[in-house]
Amino acid sequence: MFKILNLSNIFYWIEKLIGFINSVFFILLLVALSFALIFSPPDYLQGDSVRIMYVHVPSAWIGLASFSSISILSIAHFIFKIKNIRLITKSIAPIGLMFTCLALVTGSIWGQPTWGTWWVWDARITSMFILALFYVGFISTHKLIANENKANKISSIIAIIGLINIPIIKYSVDWWNTLHQPASIKLIGESSIHSSMLMPLLLMFFVFILYCALIFLMKYKTEIIKIKKKNIKRI
Amino acid sequence: MIQNFLSMNGYGLFVWGSFVITFVACGLLYYRTHKTLKKYEREFAKEINELSFERKKIVIENSKIASQVLSSFSKTI
Repeated sequence: MFKILNLSNIFYWIEKLIGFINSVFFILLLVALSFALIFSPPDYLQGDSVRIMYVHVPSAWIGLASFSSISILSIAHFIFKIKNIRLITKSIAPIGLMFTCLALVTGSIWGQPTWGTWWVWDARITSMFILALFYVGFISTHKLIANENKANKISSIIAIIGLINIPIIKYSVDWWNTLHQPASIKLIGESSIHSSMLMPLLLMFFVFILYCALIFLMKYKTEIIKIKKKNIKRI
Repeated sequence: MIQNFLSMNGYGLFVWGSFVITFVACGLLYYRTHKTLKKYEREFAKEINELSFERKKIVIENSKIASQVLSSFSKTI
């Protein structure tokens, strides 16, 4: 069972997965873009500006999911001290930061035609901005602190403290009066979004997930090579 | 029809702007990640090649990763 967790085996599967994702990615992207930009209907209130949702919502979901995974893995690292976990969190963080920034930027662009303003310090947007700051803190700890153990401890603490912000982001639209609309898609209960918009949204989300997997695998592979490079010097 | 599609009923700048920013950012992250990976692969392969014959043999026999990187690196040359 543990043989599969061996770095050599992981490395082998990374190569296979990267090849597979590369082979299907562009076809899926074209299909998803066609639905998002052509086949999905305009909103009865927002018109065609609703199409921004197809990049904004998946970006926000990925930003939140990435930080939640980093936090949970950091807790696991504190308990089990598995070195591999650090490689995984380090590889996820830049992806999460980029998508959180994209959610903020595309949200701001969507805000102008919808609310008449580019930016407002309401609960949802402010808590998303704080999430981006947590990502910056996590990544810069690894860049600025040379001592690996110290960097790991500090970044883990940042990730665990940042976990408090995740439910705040999720429920900010329910707890406070914000410009941001409440969630239209619910895992439990009935979603208020029509299937003609839900399907392109899920397709775009799937394409973004594939892209994240591709970047994660390349970053993870780079981290493995860095370790092997260090080991070679010891021979 | 194409003009309607591009103008998005007056929201074209916002919609296309969002999509372009997203895909440019994704493209840049992909480019940077790919470039860094290739740089480390190249350096790793170079370090193995600089080892003496016996050491190189030990490394390749004991590390599947080293042999994979070496073979993929030699393919790209």
